[in-house]
Amino acid sequence: MAAHAPSTVPDTAPVSGARLVVEALEREGVRTVFGYPGGAIMPLYDALTGSGLRHILVRHEQAAALAADAYGRVTGEPGVCIATSGPGATNLVTGIANAYMDSVPMVAITGQVATSLIGTDAFQEVDIFGITLPIVKHSFVIRSTAEIPQVFAQAFELARSGRPGPVLIDLPKDMGVGAAVPNPVSVERFAHPEADPQLIAAANALIAEARAPVLYFGGGIAIARAERALRDFAARTGMPSVATLKGLGGIPTDHPDFLGMLGMHGMRAANMAIDKCDLLICVGARFDDRATGKLDTFAPGATVIHIDGDPAEIGKLRRAAVGISGDISKILDALDARPAHSEHWAALCRRQKAMWAMSYDAPGSGIYAPALLKDLSEAAGDDAVFTCDVGQHQMWVAQHCRFSRPQAHLTSAGLGTMGYGVPAGIGALIADPDATVITISGDGSIMMNVQELATLRRYRLPLKIVLIDNSQLGMVRQWQELFFEENFSEIDLSDNPDFADLAQAFGIEAFTIDHRDEVPAAIERLLATNGPILCHVRIDPRANVWPLVPPNSSNVQMLEKAK
Amino acid sequence: MTGQLTIDFDLHEGAVLRVLGLVERRGFEVRGIRMTEAADGRGALALDVRARDASRSLDTVAGQLQRLHDVRNVTCIQGVAQ
Ligand SMILES: Cc1ncc(C[n+]2csc(CCOP(=O)(O)OP(=O)(O)O)c2C)c(N)n1
Repeated sequence: MAAHAPSTVPDTAPVSGARLVVEALEREGVRTVFGYPGGAIMPLYDALTGSGLRHILVRHEQAAALAADAYGRVTGEPGVCIATSGPGATNLVTGIANAYMDSVPMVAITGQVATSLIGTDAFQEVDIFGITLPIVKHSFVIRSTAEIPQVFAQAFELARSGRPGPVLIDLPKDMGVGAAVPNPVSVERFAHPEADPQLIAAANALIAEARAPVLYFGGGIAIARAERALRDFAARTGMPSVATLKGLGGIPTDHPDFLGMLGMHGMRAANMAIDKCDLLICVGARFDDRATGKLDTFAPGATVIHIDGDPAEIGKLRRAAVGISGDISKILDALDARPAHSEHWAALCRRQKAMWAMSYDAPGSGIYAPALLKDLSEAAGDDAVFTCDVGQHQMWVAQHCRFSRPQAHLTSAGLGTMGYGVPAGIGALIADPDATVITISGDGSIMMNVQELATLRRYRLPLKIVLIDNSQLGMVRQWQELFFEENFSEIDLSDNPDFADLAQAFGIEAFTIDHRDEVPAAIERLLATNGPILCHVRIDPRANVWPLVPPNSSNVQMLEKAK
Repeated sequence: MTGQLTIDFDLHEGAVLRVLGLVERRGFEVRGIRMTEAADGRGALALDVRARDASRSLDTVAGQLQRLHDVRNVTCIQGVAQ
């Protein structure tokens, strides 16, 4: 931490707390907030009118938090969500947890009952500070109106710096109503400590000796904006690389030495390379169980170099021979050694990648979702942003869409939140109004935040929704089929509404396709439409995601689609 | 595995809960607590802890405590107490 110059708020006449909140948000460069009003937060809503802030009224607070999350992922700046006390605040919880698990900058503002009523079971009182303690990077209760500028400045700095995360500010009603002369603001700016040169030297020595190195990178690349350094390092060393779900796009997915996503639904070439490597360089990833499979058989022959912005991740799950925390770009740039004898290995990995490439042949005339997604992603181009929900369709997006930057792939990785897709599309479009934003959803997931179609309509946000409908909770069905002896329990959604009718009832253009001949025209229509549009795609309810590593197995024990 | 964690922290609202919650959630039982307030207004917590399973490491939890905004310093000693 380095101390930093205080910025002072002029000490003139007393200002209302709500007004101080608005001013603090404006000082942080916030232009849009996502929220939903109610009793305890009314002073803030009162101050919003006439301010320079744009408020997006969602139809459920969870969507405000998830949209703010997507906004944070796209811009790198905290997304802001606002809710009232009690049920408004508890409705934010899933979105806050989502941001926490994926290290996304966010500031959540909750109304609270007046200070004198806290702890009395007052109307719409919940201890949201206590409820969210394990899922925030930090949190505050405003105890004095004069402290509002300081708390907000600190909250934004904490949310965006180091390993980013959500910060909650609980604002009791009297703090927003009361007026005060604000106290001066002084915030310590976060700075990574310099990496230890001895560790850099040790890592360089390991790289120079490696015969079969693999670069394994994750979401930490996007957080640190270290794509340039990562790509330079990969090019310099000629190392094959694999990505986690959140890492996708750190190196363009069509790069010849990029082997694909690793893990449960990863590419066989990626998992095999990890299995055989002698040096594993993990950058901005955390050995998550979905990525590693059975941990004690993951990269069994490898020495590990672990590089991360967060020192607490190093050695958490896998011992690192060399662990370096700090600024990822600087560390990668300092790793200038090249493996002397790894050409054979790189060539072998490339051959394996070709050998195990995905196949898009599928029998019948029905729509094969992987092929549709691949064609859509190619037609949309690398500037398009994909957001997804959770389930089979999410894994198909990761496997079959192309990404040349991590910010183009907004997915709920750590928490796996069904209902993320549409709110994330809203957040992405607010962050980048000119972007082509496409949401891939499932018939289960869409219903978790279907009310946000009204938000799309209200703000005329040109989100392109592709709803992959297998009339099942597909991912759960797949697990029941494979690991619970086909005992299908509560996965049938065949009584879904007609999704095209449903979207149209919200005032959104929509159409349905169920035959593969219809795919090219559907893609063209989706991309050519200027307003929000939903394409309802009926697919075979029995389609599964392949390949697949069974739970608690090694990543090399991948199951493949029966030919 | 048992051990002792000593945590120096700023006595901000919720700090004690944050520390205890983290230790519990990350796989340790808290078996003893002593808290004092230092002259400079900081808090000091000494926790006797016991791992819930063999995979838990005191160093890891110390690193995670260090990450908390309120926490200034953490030391851990393995195998003391009880
Ligand atoms: C909020 C939430 N509840 C439950 C789950 C568990 N879950 C994971 S995938 C899945 C099925 C998703 O179904 P759908 O959206 O139709 O996608 P599909 O797998 O069919 O592509 C469920 C229920 C979850 N991830 N999130």
